[in-house]
Amino acid sequence: MNTNTATGHEANATHDARAEQIEMLRNSAIDFVAGSTDHKRLREQREKLPGHDTRLYSAMANLGWFRILVPEEYGGLGLGLAEMSVVLQELGKGLLAEPILATVVLAGQTLRYGSNEALKNELLPKLVDGSLKACLAWQEDAGGLDLMPVKTVATSAGGRVTLTGRKRYVGGAGDADGYLVTARNSADTGAGVFWVAANAKGLSVTHEWRADGTPSGIVTLDAVEVASGHVLDEPSATALQGLARAVNESCVMAGAETLGVIEATLNMTLEYMRNRVQFGKAIGTFQALQHRAADLYIQQELVRAVLGDAVQTLDSNANAEDCSKIASRCKSRSSEAGLRITREAIQLHGAIGFTDEYDLGLYVKRALVLSAWLGNSTAHRRRFALLNAAVWQNGSEANSQHPSALA
Amino acid sequence: MIFPAPTQDWNALSDDEFRQTAQAFFEDNVPRHLRFLNRRPAWVEVKDLYHALSSSGWLCPGWPVEYGGMGLSPSKYLIYVEELELCGTPRVMDQGVMNLGPVLIARGTQAQREKYLPKIFSAEHLWCQGYSEPGAGSDLAGLRTEAVIDGDEFVINGHKIWTSMAMEANHLFALVRTDKTVKKQAGISFVMIDMNQPGVTVRPIRNIAGHEELCEVFLDNVRTPVENLVGQLNDGWQVAKALLGFERVWSGSPRQSMLALLRLEKVARLNGRINDPVFQDKLTQITFDVQDGASAYERIAQIMRTGGSFGSEVSVLKIWATETCQRVTELLLEASGDAGMMLGDVGFGEEQVNVLHPFMDCRAFTIYGGSNQIQRNILVKTVLNLPT
Repeated sequence: MNTNTATGHEANATHDARAEQIEMLRNSAIDFVAGSTDHKRLREQREKLPGHDTRLYSAMANLGWFRILVPEEYGGLGLGLAEMSVVLQELGKGLLAEPILATVVLAGQTLRYGSNEALKNELLPKLVDGSLKACLAWQEDAGGLDLMPVKTVATSAGGRVTLTGRKRYVGGAGDADGYLVTARNSADTGAGVFWVAANAKGLSVTHEWRADGTPSGIVTLDAVEVASGHVLDEPSATALQGLARAVNESCVMAGAETLGVIEATLNMTLEYMRNRVQFGKAIGTFQALQHRAADLYIQQELVRAVLGDAVQTLDSNANAEDCSKIASRCKSRSSEAGLRITREAIQLHGAIGFTDEYDLGLYVKRALVLSAWLGNSTAHRRRFALLNAAVWQNGSEANSQHPSALA
Repeated sequence: MIFPAPTQDWNALSDDEFRQTAQAFFEDNVPRHLRFLNRRPAWVEVKDLYHALSSSGWLCPGWPVEYGGMGLSPSKYLIYVEELELCGTPRVMDQGVMNLGPVLIARGTQAQREKYLPKIFSAEHLWCQGYSEPGAGSDLAGLRTEAVIDGDEFVINGHKIWTSMAMEANHLFALVRTDKTVKKQAGISFVMIDMNQPGVTVRPIRNIAGHEELCEVFLDNVRTPVENLVGQLNDGWQVAKALLGFERVWSGSPRQSMLALLRLEKVARLNGRINDPVFQDKLTQITFDVQDGASAYERIAQIMRTGGSFGSEVSVLKIWATETCQRVTELLLEASGDAGMMLGDVGFGEEQVNVLHPFMDCRAFTIYGGSNQIQRNILVKTVLNLPT
C-alpha cells in the first residue's frame, strides 16, 4: 500500500481487510479444532514424549500458521500478533496448541529478532514449514522473568565458543531439533544467544512433567561447542533485547491460548449448569451459582479486553517499556483468571469435575501450565512494579494535569 | 423559535477537532473551585455553569439538533463525556437533560416537548426522578405510589425515596401505579408533576458521607393534569426502560477508579508506603484491575464509535468499574494506616488529603442504577443463558 496517499477511507479499508483476514484465520482454526480435538488422544499422550501429536504439528505448519509472525523475507507472511492470537485462542479451546507457544512464538520470535542474518536465513524457512523444531533455553533453576542467565557461560578460546550450564523450563523440548541458548560471556560483560543442535556433543536433555502431562526440558550443556556461524547474538550488554521482545510476545500469546481454555471451560460449565438437575431443578437456576458464573464471565471478558489492548500495543511497535508493562498486565490477568475460572468450574460441576474421566480436568491442568509458565500473576505484578517505580515516585502525568483531583 | 438553534454542526468536525474544542470549552467554562468536588454541589453553586452550558449550546450533547441538542454522534458523545470528566466537571441538576428530555423526545407528544424542553434549557424547571420507594428498590416494579384519574387530573398518593437533589428540584417525573389488577409491570405509568403545590413534602436524607443529596418525597393528594402522562396509560415501565443506554455505559466508566487511584498513589508517596514491596504488589493488582476495566470500557466505546450496538455486556462494565473503585478506596484506607480513621482532610507531612470520603462516597455506586446483584441477574439471564 502506498502510505503517502492513504486517506482515512483507505486506512479504514485496510483495517477492514485485515479484520476480514483475521476472521478467515479464525474460521480455519475453528474448522481445524472441530476436526482434530480428541481428548482421548490427549490422555494417552500424557507423560510420554514428545508430549504432543507430531502429525497435528505438521498439519498446522501446512495451514501456514507458523508463517504468521515471520517476515516475508524469511518465508513468512509478515502478519502480527493479532493474527497469531486468534489461532492460539481457538487452538486453546481444543487443547491443541502444545508446543506452538514454545517453538513458533518463543523460539521463533527470538530467532526472528536476532542479529545474525545468515543464521536467520538458514533456520527460519525450516521453522515456518515445520521441518525444524527449535526451542528456547533461557531460564535456569530460579525460573522467573530476569533474562540474564545466572550460571550458563559461553567461553571463547581460539575462535571456538563453548557453552556450559544447565537450562530448565524449556518448553517443547520433547522432540526439539535444536536449542537457542542464552549464556553470559566469561568476562561477564554481557550475555548472548547461541544456536546448538539437539545432538551436539555434550548436550543432554531430561524432562520434568508438567501438570497437563507435557514435558518441560532440562538441558544440560557440558562444554558444548557452538558451530561456526551459529551465534545468533554476540554477547553484549544489549544482546538480549530481541529475547526480551520475544518473551513479551509469548506472555501475551499465552494469554490468547488461556482465553481459549477459559472460554471452553466456561461454556462446558454453563452447559452443565443448564442440564444438571438437583432438588428437582437445573442447578443453573440457583442464584448462588448463577452469580459465581457471572463473576467468572466478567473475568473472561477482562482477559479478552486486556489481550486486545496488549496485542495492539505490541503490534504497533510501541517502546520496550510500554510493551513490557502491558505484557505483564495481560499475563497477570490471564494467569489469574485462567486458574480461577478452571478451579471454580470444578466446584460448579461438583464431584464429576474431580474425576479424570471428565474433560474439565484437562482444561484445569492446561490452565495451571499456562499460568505458571513465563511468569505467574505475582511474577508479572513484581515486574510491573519495578518498571513503574519511577512513575509512582514522581506522580503520574495525569497527576500533574489534574492537581485538584487529589485535594 | 421554540428550541435553541444549534451553534455549530459538531459532527462536521473530525473527532480530534471536536476533542480539542470540547477540552477548551470545559477548561474555559468550569470554574476551578468546582472541579473534582467530593460531593454534589448545590444549585446556587452550579447555576452559572448550567446557564453557561445552556447558552453556548453545550447542555444537551445527546439530544437531536431539532430540539436544541448538540446531536452528537456516538463517538463524539463519548469524547464529550471523556473531556467533561477529565476536567472534573461537577454534576449540575441534570435529570432533565439526562432523563426527562430524552423520554419526551422519544415518547412524549409535540405539545409536551414544546412546553417542557425549553424550560430545561432555561433552568426554569429543575427535575428530579421519582422511581424508588421504601418497598420498591431492586424490585422497582413493585412500586405502590398510586395515581387515580379524577376528571382531567391524576390524584397521586405515595412515598418516593432516594430521590437525588429533590430539595432543589421544582418538578418531579415519576413512575406511579395506575392499574393494580394486572401483572405489576403492566400497571405503571410515567407522569410529570409540579412540586410547587400542597401535598408535596421533601425530606432530605443525610448519607454516610455526611451529605444531603438524597431525599424522601411524600405525595399526599398531589394533582397533575392528565396531559402530563408520558406515553400511554400503563405503559410507564416501557417508557422508563427505554432510558437505559448511555447512562449504563456511563456507570461503567473507569474515571472514578482512576481518580481514586491517583489519590492512593499520592498518599503512599507521602507516607513512604510506595517503597514497600508488599504494598507495591497490592497497588499493582489494583492498577491492573483499573486498567483492565478501562480496556473493557474502551472495547464498548469502540463499538459505539463505529455505530454498532451492544447489549447486556454493558453490565460487566458497571459491575467491574464500581467494585474496582470500592477496592481502590479500601486500599486507600489501608495505605493511610492510622490516618485512615480521620474525618475530613488529614495531614500527611505538609499536605492534606481526605482519605475517608472516597471510601464512603463509592459505597453507593454498587447500589444505584440497578444494584450489582441485579446487574449479575441480567448477565445470567441474557448473556449466560442460564435457566430461571
